[in-house]
Amino acid sequence: MNKTVKRGYIVNGLTAVLAYAAFCVLAATLGQEGGFKLIIAPGIWQCCYLILLAASLNLVLGFMGQLSLGHCGFMAIGAYTAALMSLAFERAGVYDEKSGAAFLAVLFLCIISAGLLAAAFGVLVGIPALRLKGDYLAIITLGFGLIIVNVINNLPFAGQNGLAEGSAAASLYATGLGFGSSDRVAYLWAGVGVTALCVTLMFMFVRSKYGRAVRAIRDDEIAAAASGINTGYYKVLTFAFSAFFAGVAGALYACCNASLSTVSFSFTNGSILNSTFVVVMVVLGGMGSLTGSVVSAVVMFLLNYQIANGAWVDALPGFIQGAFTYPMLVYAVVLIVIIMFRPKGIFGAYEFSLLRTPGELARRLRGLGRGKRANKGGKEAAAQ
Amino acid sequence: MKKKLLAILLALSMTLALAACGGGGGEEPSGEAAGGDTIKIGLIGPVTGNNASFGNAMVEGARMTVAEINAAGGILGRQIELLEADDRGDATECMNAFNNMVAEGVQYIIGSATSGATAAITGMANEEGVVLISPSATADDITTEDDYVFRSCFKDSLQGDIAAAWVQQQGITKVGTIMCSADNYSSGLVNSFTAACEARGIEVAADESTATMDAQDFTNQFTSMVNAGVELVYAIYYYDAVGAFLVPQARAAGFDGIIMGADGFDGTLDYISEGTDYSVFNDVVYTNHYDATDSSPVVAEYVEAYQAEYGTQPLCFAALASDCLMMLQKAMEAAGTADDPAAVRDALADTSVTYEGVTGTFNLDESGTPVKGAAVIEFTYDESVGGVEGLGTQLVTTISADDLA
Repeated sequence: MNKTVKRGYIVNGLTAVLAYAAFCVLAATLGQEGGFKLIIAPGIWQCCYLILLAASLNLVLGFMGQLSLGHCGFMAIGAYTAALMSLAFERAGVYDEKSGAAFLAVLFLCIISAGLLAAAFGVLVGIPALRLKGDYLAIITLGFGLIIVNVINNLPFAGQNGLAEGSAAASLYATGLGFGSSDRVAYLWAGVGVTALCVTLMFMFVRSKYGRAVRAIRDDEIAAAASGINTGYYKVLTFAFSAFFAGVAGALYACCNASLSTVSFSFTNGSILNSTFVVVMVVLGGMGSLTGSVVSAVVMFLLNYQIANGAWVDALPGFIQGAFTYPMLVYAVVLIVIIMFRPKGIFGAYEFSLLRTPGELARRLRGLGRGKRANKGGKEAAAQ
Repeated sequence: MKKKLLAILLALSMTLALAACGGGGGEEPSGEAAGGDTIKIGLIGPVTGNNASFGNAMVEGARMTVAEINAAGGILGRQIELLEADDRGDATECMNAFNNMVAEGVQYIIGSATSGATAAITGMANEEGVVLISPSATADDITTEDDYVFRSCFKDSLQGDIAAAWVQQQGITKVGTIMCSADNYSSGLVNSFTAACEARGIEVAADESTATMDAQDFTNQFTSMVNAGVELVYAIYYYDAVGAFLVPQARAAGFDGIIMGADGFDGTLDYISEGTDYSVFNDVVYTNHYDATDSSPVVAEYVEAYQAEYGTQPLCFAALASDCLMMLQKAMEAAGTADDPAAVRDALADTSVTYEGVTGTFNLDESGTPVKGAAVIEFTYDESVGGVEGLGTQLVTTISADDLA
């Protein structure tokens, strides 16, 4: 391991631990106060799963160069797995209330299982699908997303009415993983921690030998194969790796939203959580920049939330307020502006680095560096 | 660069033009209160998105009723301030809107239109001690789990039972069902209808489904209905699919029996395109919360006021939202306070109180759901008038909860 890399690990590791500790202390101090409990904590939870979703899709779309339109299908698998497992544990009497070591164990077990099952489906879908490229792959993944949603709808134990007796909402809320307002604050550390850990794992993947191979495939598949890279293996591996994190995002979704409905994981819907919008987030942030995905997930969340609920909207002149009644119009304009002036997305392929970026900023260099390790502390600050 | 700027200008002007067309309702007229010490009531509904027609009807009905209550002196001498939020029919957006309102100090919320979105906030309403009254979330378990949750509509199992009772009255013995398995509302109603039919000795000879609520092709489903030889098809979809696709395709597939729907059919006639064969809408009936052509003074007065204000006939969602406000007003007056949600909740939980609303006279049951009947309404087409104007609705009968036994 060379000296710069070692220094990078130490600096970034320390910063991450410090930032995370500071965040936990801050969250604990603000605690159950109205504004924090009702607005900021749910906001951070939503940012967490959007970040994971966008960053994981970026592995396939940005780093591997393959268009997948069914990413929310993996998220649906994760969400339902986590929800059903937690309910099963509750019924088996593993935990009674949402606190204590037993519940924590169940919580993390559910999150990991959600990821693993989604990754398993990633392998199953990836092996046949990744023989195709471009438009054909897009269509097959789109089909997969639709199939997953319909299968879940029709499973007797998982459909809209299937979680326990009654609808997904009430029962999941009462006994399973679904958090209420105060639990959302109490377990905020878990959501942020899982997200930070997953984003770190993705950064490490991208920087590793595997990441280099995957980028080689993106740049020229024939040349990569000629250099001895097993392209089929690396493609399926990346697809499954990406699906794993989408599954984890699904588990976080199941925690944050006290109800589950497959509409949330469809190809398009009224909100910003759907397979189309995840692609938009990745493109907006920059294909090939995890920093970009993180930032653009947060930006899209804030934009969406502020348009719908921001108090400042009332202060705007009437005709702009009129445009805000139709949020989709606002996203369209934002997208047009970004794509026209910055076709690479906000960050292009640039990654934020604690060692490099401050110096570069000081030199006012608008560098487009190659994938360097970014700083998790910065992300947490952004998530807040 | 110039080209880019021009393109952006064009995009912006298009956006603003569109916004100017539809955004006129964005202003909030009922908020300006005399005393300053107002009662804040929140309204969450899908103002944009797939079910926008429902949400806008809710908003219009609620605004009108709030203006009426305020003009009559308010509740307990205090004016009402109505805060509106859009959930786009989505659970997460509904949760955000709810949290935002509660953070602003709202203690009484009316919403949301669909069961899926409402389910996301029922538990939180209980946790935060906020009184939540839904105008139209009909899924059975919306009110069962949480003490602070009420509604002004009947529940799915009652509506399905009423539909089955009507089918029995008609002497029909063989029926079929079509539902969207992905949707709580559709599958819930069809399941309760099927169960009620079996209990009444009516044979459900065929059941078909579609993947989404906004399906556009029902041909195969109705072909299978024709093959099964059913006399009536119970198909649960929303207004946009019914008028444009479901009914015309059913007739084209050779099905000439009765098509029966539920409250989602309300508003269908506003979504029928010019030039279709309007006679296909004969023999289409649906159960609804109330009949806008009812001649009873409460309904007639309401419909008249609504038409004077907005120029259209009120959908049941408008009437249900108005009834939510009426329930809240009555409960606050019974509790003698508007500052204590717990006391208002207790007043609402009193099952002996009778509410006289636009959508009927009813008491709430133990869970907070009205026990009331439904109107069975049919579409009619008057050949002599012709065109879209020839289409109308007509009350067939009303069936109350007591008639079911």
